[in-house]
Amino acid sequence: MARSAKAVPWFLFAAGGTVIAFILPVMIFITGIAPAIGLFGDALSYETMHAFVGNWLIKLILLGIIVLAAWHAAHRLRVCAHDFGIRADGAVSIVVYGLAAIASAATVVALLMI
Amino acid sequence: MSRKPYHREVSKTTWFLKQSRYQHYMLHEISSVFVAIYVGVLIVGLFRLAQGPEAWSGWLAAVTSPIGVIFHILVFIFSIIHTTSWFKAVPQAMRIQRGEEIVPGNLIIGAHYGVWAVVSVVVLLVAGVA
Amino acid sequence: MSERQIELEVLRYRPEMDDKPFFQTYSVPCQEEWVVLDALNYVKDEMDRTLSYRWSCHMFVCGSCGMAINGEPKLACKAFLRDYQTKIRIEPLSNFPIERDLVIVQDDFIEKLESVKPYIIPKQEKPIDQGEYLQTPAQLKAYKQYSMCINCLLCYSACPQYALEEKFIGPAALALAHRYNMDSRDVGRSAREHVVASHDGIWACSFVGACSQVCPKDVDPAGAIQQVKFTSAVDYLTSFLPGGKR
Ligand code: SF4
Repeated sequence: MARSAKAVPWFLFAAGGTVIAFILPVMIFITGIAPAIGLFGDALSYETMHAFVGNWLIKLILLGIIVLAAWHAAHRLRVCAHDFGIRADGAVSIVVYGLAAIASAATVVALLMI
Repeated sequence: MSRKPYHREVSKTTWFLKQSRYQHYMLHEISSVFVAIYVGVLIVGLFRLAQGPEAWSGWLAAVTSPIGVIFHILVFIFSIIHTTSWFKAVPQAMRIQRGEEIVPGNLIIGAHYGVWAVVSVVVLLVAGVA
Repeated sequence: MSERQIELEVLRYRPEMDDKPFFQTYSVPCQEEWVVLDALNYVKDEMDRTLSYRWSCHMFVCGSCGMAINGEPKLACKAFLRDYQTKIRIEPLSNFPIERDLVIVQDDFIEKLESVKPYIIPKQEKPIDQGEYLQTPAQLKAYKQYSMCINCLLCYSACPQYALEEKFIGPAALALAHRYNMDSRDVGRSAREHVVASHDGIWACSFVGACSQVCPKDVDPAGAIQQVKFTSAVDYLTSFLPGGKR
């Protein structure tokens, strides 16, 4: 039996799971719930947000969170597929990890554009 | 004497319906679906932010539309499910030994909740909400 | 002492005459303080000598009397009747083939247990007259919890991944691998790694955690497996660095 390469995505899964456990609830609140109830006033206006995300430190932090969240979700989706009875693990891996890679690259591009 | 063991079948697609502990497990596994979609929404938001004020307000409008709000409430609930189930499992995955004692699990979990609260408040402050 | 009539619905399977298992009900006069095993022993002694099941110590040490009691994996000697209604359903542990009545086929587990080398592999064998391998209480504490396993197989019966993937090495064997890896007298980690860190080892576990919930000895196999995942992942990643072990 050979050692499994699952170690690599698992590491990202575990790191991502930890990071999003702390950060995601409050982030979802800010980006998805607060605007709807008008809690923030101007905090989400274009000018404020553009200046905020324009900061390179914020960019780095956002990049870390989004990339880790993507890989975390990808690995868990792979396990989910197995749990729902889908046995094509190879194809599932290509799809979920492929999507995570695309999401990571897209995040970099978007942040560079801001 | 010849043996004739009897094999019982387990359904590969519905096994988790049989026990409530399996259902809880599936609930936090399914959180990944919502996290994945939310990541997509965020990335689109970043692109819209890069494209200028109009694009950005379009994204904001989508987020605050009824479907947007319902989706975000769902993601929020699943993110809480993820956080609580994740913290609950930490002492199992990360055993800390001090001398001859194992640090009690509840202490580790409590510390995580403390950090979670601090992180949330700090993020709210930085985002200019509070 | 008060007596209570209990209806035991027992799954029976007699390979020489049955094609598939069926439930047989025994109405058993039970004492208040009995456990399920006492009720089964009453059936065996007084009502039906053909009923087969395993047991030995009657005190949660031997690990023989694991069975599904109302669908939950339990030791029959640790399942007190006072915690149950009048009707109790008893089946052989799930996820294992049935040999006869409540007796399951354990061969698969025994093979897997052997495959993780569940014994101390010392750096250097030394003759007995050179004395024992010494260990501090703190070093003992590091693995003690994982050494409490009695091979009762309740964890395998609770594990859905074992049910879905029969090649999965499974909770108790992996927890025992961890028990020896964590032992200061042992240097066998890399000798176990090729089984433990394989596709069918720790990486087939998705941390459902049911094993740890049903374990009668608080071994926490689920926790052990996650800890092994971490060290194995570090091993795997560093193996690509110069000087890393392949
Ligand atoms: S780990 Fe616990 S449940 Fe599993 S065989 Fe050992 S004692 Fe039994």
